[in-house]
Amino acid sequence: MYFPYFVTYIVVGLLLGLITFGWALHSGQFRDQQRARFLPLVRSETPAATSKFGRLETYVLMGMACIGLLISAFTLIYSLLRG
Amino acid sequence: MMMATFMGLLGATELIAPDLSGNLSWIVFGRVRPIHVNLVLFGFVTPGLLGAAFYFLPRLLDTDLYSEGLGRVSVIVWNLILVCIVLSLAAGYSQGREYAEMIWPVDMLIVIVFTLIFFNFIMTVAQRREPLLYVSVWYACAAIVLTGLTYCLGNVIWRPDSGALVGIPDAILLWFYGHNIFGLLLTPLSLGVAYYVIPRVCRSPLYSHTLSLVGFWSLILVYTHIGTHHLLQVPVPTWLKVIATVDSVGMVIPVMVVLINLWYTAKGRLGEIHADIGGKFVFTGTILYFFVSIQGSMMALPQVQRITHFNNWVIAHSHVGVLGFAGMIALGGIYYILPRAVGKPLYSRYLADFQYWLVLIGVVGFTVVLTIAGLIQGNAWFNGETIYRVLPEIHMYYIVRASLGLIIFVAAVLGFYNIVRTIFGRPAETVVVEGSPTRELLAGSESGLAHQESGLAHQEVAS
Ligand code: HEM
Ligand code: HEM
Repeated sequence: MYFPYFVTYIVVGLLLGLITFGWALHSGQFRDQQRARFLPLVRSETPAATSKFGRLETYVLMGMACIGLLISAFTLIYSLLRG
Repeated sequence: MMMATFMGLLGATELIAPDLSGNLSWIVFGRVRPIHVNLVLFGFVTPGLLGAAFYFLPRLLDTDLYSEGLGRVSVIVWNLILVCIVLSLAAGYSQGREYAEMIWPVDMLIVIVFTLIFFNFIMTVAQRREPLLYVSVWYACAAIVLTGLTYCLGNVIWRPDSGALVGIPDAILLWFYGHNIFGLLLTPLSLGVAYYVIPRVCRSPLYSHTLSLVGFWSLILVYTHIGTHHLLQVPVPTWLKVIATVDSVGMVIPVMVVLINLWYTAKGRLGEIHADIGGKFVFTGTILYFFVSIQGSMMALPQVQRITHFNNWVIAHSHVGVLGFAGMIALGGIYYILPRAVGKPLYSRYLADFQYWLVLIGVVGFTVVLTIAGLIQGNAWFNGETIYRVLPEIHMYYIVRASLGLIIFVAAVLGFYNIVRTIFGRPAETVVVEGSPTRELLAGSESGLAHQESGLAHQEVAS
């Protein structure tokens, strides 16, 4: 007998949805939409600059990434030849 | 992401060489796969997106987070859960239902952590100084409430021993939950982040807030019903299949509403997006959202699914969705927020860019390879070919998939290094922000925007 779970869930979900929607409607969430468009821009944030990157580190990291890529390329070619 | 992708890579390698793990029961494919899936979901994508939500919520509501302490407790519990997930699944303690494998104690921890987060979010909303709720706030709160509820139901937490009902009702319940992990957790959290990051990066207001609310409510209305599209080949009641199929196709509406809104916001400002690595990840995520959703709507058609079901086609779809859409946006959120949250510059933009390309190449490659493999499998099965003939045919694709997986794993390692170096790096050098946008802009007019843009144009980074 699985209906009770489903029915309870549907009723709870529906009620939650309707109550929230009703609240949104009454508290003016659908008004003043022009102002709402700007909300993400209100607070200013400090943009952080990009830091310097050591040359040695660049080489080591690039080397590591290239090894990874080479292994991938190798398996790819190998599989295509043997596949 | 590193651990999770490594598990994926291990699983992919085992699909090529099934004897790889020998007698080591902890790492057989049947255990590695759920660890991979649950780690990407709960260890990488969801916490990445939630971190962003914790950042933008107080800013959009013009208040402080209700409780930093509660937030820290949530983080600790969350990480404890991850350890439990890996250990319990590796040790073979599993309830054996896809996406709901975790045993009851872990389930309970997950329910508790969602409750804590919900409480923190809703109290932050309650104490807000900004009366209007921006669409990202709607998405973030809805994701937490709906996931909390569906998690309890889908994991049948009132039956601690089995965590399941029996027979078809269990499958319906499971997939109702399983789909909602993507539809009501990852999707709304990702869209919330996109709706915050894209206007900020583009320095332009959202194209239409009304449209965004239409998108939100239509998603709530439609997405909640489509779990059964995972069961179209199963004897579940036909009316459920009809609802699932119709609503899956109907998903085109919320998806396109969101995308039109976001893309129009970014119209003419792709340069700004390109200049901000966070924005670049997020914007790419929105493009992949388009692909995964349109593909999804087609996969929900029974005729199409006769070929695409139960094979690698679906795995391709999963990776476009979870990695290409939600994962990309999670990474974008991390890169956008991290430097601002820790007050230090991103260690290396170059590395982040490199990671971006590796992930993109990886996910597109996955899509191509797995889709081809899926079509071979699907058609073979449809034509009654035996599995022993088909497996060798797709062997090569499995090898290519694993190679591409290696690229994604490398990307994860580079990202980890970049993030760690950022956190422990030197603080930002002096940054001067002139004419920063203020409340007066909220007059809401286009002239307000023009004023703000000129302010931002003066923003200079003095090093
Ligand atoms: C962070 C990036 C990743 C995400 C978000 C992700 C997500 C997922 C998801 C959601 C599934 C379940 C698919 C389904 O049941 O339909 C899955 C399965 C899988 N993924 Fe990943 N994945 C990622 C990276 C990788 C990588 C790098 C590999 C390595 C090759 C990989 C290999 C696999 C394998 C082998 C499976 C099981 C497929 C099967 O059962 O046939 N994944 N992944
Ligand atoms: C309009 C939107 C979407 C629709 C209509 C849709 C449709 C579908 C359908 C019909 C399946 C089942 C395929 C089968 O088993 O034959 C499926 C599987 C899946 N979808 Fe989607 N999808 C959508 C968006 C997404 C998004 C955004 C994500 C990720 C965040 C996602 C992740 C997945 C995953 C991981 C599976 C595999 C489940 C499994 O069998 O393990 N989907 N989708």
